[in-house]
Amino acid sequence: MSADLRSVTELDRLIHEPARLLISTILSSVASADFLYLQRETGLTKGNLSAHLSKLEEAGYVKIEKTFKGKLPLTVCKLTSAGKAALKAYRQQVKEFMEKTS
Amino acid sequence: MKDNLVYVEQRVKRYWFKDGIGELAGGGLFVVLGLYFAGHEWLPPNSLARTLLDSSLILILIGGMFVTRWSINFLKTRLTYPRTGYVEYFPSQKNTPSRRILTAVIAMSVSLSLVLFGRFVGSFNWIPGFTGLVAGVIFIMTQARGGEGRFYILGGLSIILGLALSFSSLSESYSLGLFYGLIGMAAMISGGLTLARYLRENLMPAEGNNER
Repeated sequence: MSADLRSVTELDRLIHEPARLLISTILSSVASADFLYLQRETGLTKGNLSAHLSKLEEAGYVKIEKTFKGKLPLTVCKLTSAGKAALKAYRQQVKEFMEKTS
Repeated sequence: MKDNLVYVEQRVKRYWFKDGIGELAGGGLFVVLGLYFAGHEWLPPNSLARTLLDSSLILILIGGMFVTRWSINFLKTRLTYPRTGYVEYFPSQKNTPSRRILTAVIAMSVSLSLVLFGRFVGSFNWIPGFTGLVAGVIFIMTQARGGEGRFYILGGLSIILGLALSFSSLSESYSLGLFYGLIGMAAMISGGLTLARYLRENLMPAEGNNER
């Protein structure tokens, strides 16, 4: 196998998982988004979304805060600088892989 | 994959326009401006009411923008965020104090140039057309920045109405009053219909749905 093809094995698997890639991409477009918005946009169940967010939070890619907007309680998620860097690197790796193999 | 990710990003940006609240509140401000300009036509010159009206433009603009912003936030907190979630956008990098001062200086220079141009040609009948063009470009740019298709209609309507009023025999104040009033009402109708559809399609979820 050529080094070009092998590079795909170096992808960040935490970001590579489709649901987490979608969550990261949504969060990279905004300053922050709440749990309900992410649930509606990703189409994931509450439990599934919560599990993926926990993995991203453990890796230091996402910061989760409980807050209020007026009287409305919110669980707000934010992509950290480490998360932004990881997503950027992932997109670059995939782009390079596609260019080399297509 | 790139296209899919770009689509996701654009969808997130479009979310702000999904409920029509921005148009509803912004349209209200336009209607108030319409009443301000029409007031010049309705109130007798040299009357106290007319003097008060003349000196209230800055108050209407600054107060109107404050009230518009507050009402958008109020309505979104009560109607949108509990239904489809809360999103906080990145603050615009252009919104710095120096950029704001520069914008104010440019706006004042343009206003002064327009007044001088009007005196030079001896007519201000073109102002509604110019205003319509500026408002139309803003609506179309809003569309390009991720707005919904309805902004093209508002942009087109703004340009056509502005030009039509410029060629009408109405006075400048009345033309501007009609322009702002009608565009404001069109924006409010567009926003109201969008909000009604949004509320119909997105019912309030059960309590505690925003918890992990």
